[in-house]
Amino acid sequence: MTAPHGTHRHDDRGAALILAIGFILLISAIVGGLAALITSSLDNRGTLDTIRNRQYAADAGIQDAITQVRSVTNRTSALACDPSAPLTYVPFTTALNSSNIRVDCAKAFGVAGSTDNYVLAQRNVIFTACVDTGSACTTANVIIRAQVDFEQKYAGAVTTTFVQSWSVNQ
Amino acid sequence: MHQRTLRDAGETLVEIVITIVIVSLAVTALIAGLGTAAGAAKAHKDLALSDTVMRNYAEATKRAAATCTPGGTYNVVYTPPTNFGVSVSPDGGVCPALDATQALLISVTTPVGVTKTMQIKVRTP
Repeated sequence: MTAPHGTHRHDDRGAALILAIGFILLISAIVGGLAALITSSLDNRGTLDTIRNRQYAADAGIQDAITQVRSVTNRTSALACDPSAPLTYVPFTTALNSSNIRVDCAKAFGVAGSTDNYVLAQRNVIFTACVDTGSACTTANVIIRAQVDFEQKYAGAVTTTFVQSWSVNQ
Repeated sequence: MHQRTLRDAGETLVEIVITIVIVSLAVTALIAGLGTAAGAAKAHKDLALSDTVMRNYAEATKRAAATCTPGGTYNVVYTPPTNFGVSVSPDGGVCPALDATQALLISVTTPVGVTKTMQIKVRTP
């Protein structure tokens, strides 16, 4: 009823070795997978660090821009981001965390203010920060968009700065 | 009959020895791989936590500077997790002038001594 001894042994010969080789291939695949997992995890960590550093560089760029714009007393100058001024203003630039950041500004609706200062003037400026590519920031590459209100007397320095919105896009 | 049994027994022994060697190598590699993975997971966890520490310290610094007055100082209140270190340069918390920002370099050190740095800027509101 059973197979002849010779035939049976011949079929089984080398089976353990094949199983061992199969086992080592399986282990190799597991170890290889672990190595890939470790590598990709550390790569992702590096990428996230780069993104964080770029966001804070953009943040710094806007802080720089706010500081410069609020020091402008003449509300209708290009530096005050007034659209009525010639659009030849030099965009603000900041180099931080190995990123070159460009900050563009645009004037939004505000309050002109009264000459008797009964109503204070309010300059609303929208800042957009992106990695400097040599051209203006677009909605596709903007990192931070901030709307800031600069309050000042009709003639005089900015007295208060309000950050009205601050959105981090990437 | 007697001869064949001896030959078969010998082949089986060699096979088993080779198999044990291969399996031992494989198991050793697996254990080493798991050990490396565990170490890497710990390092990754520390790095992820250092990112959180970095962000929290940066935001705490900006929050503290938001109370600045020209010529004054500000005090950053932040306690890093155990075994993590945070330092900032320049230290001292001196408020920047109204027409300038202040660049700060934040350094976070993990429990295994890895240091991450990042620059931020603060301004007097």
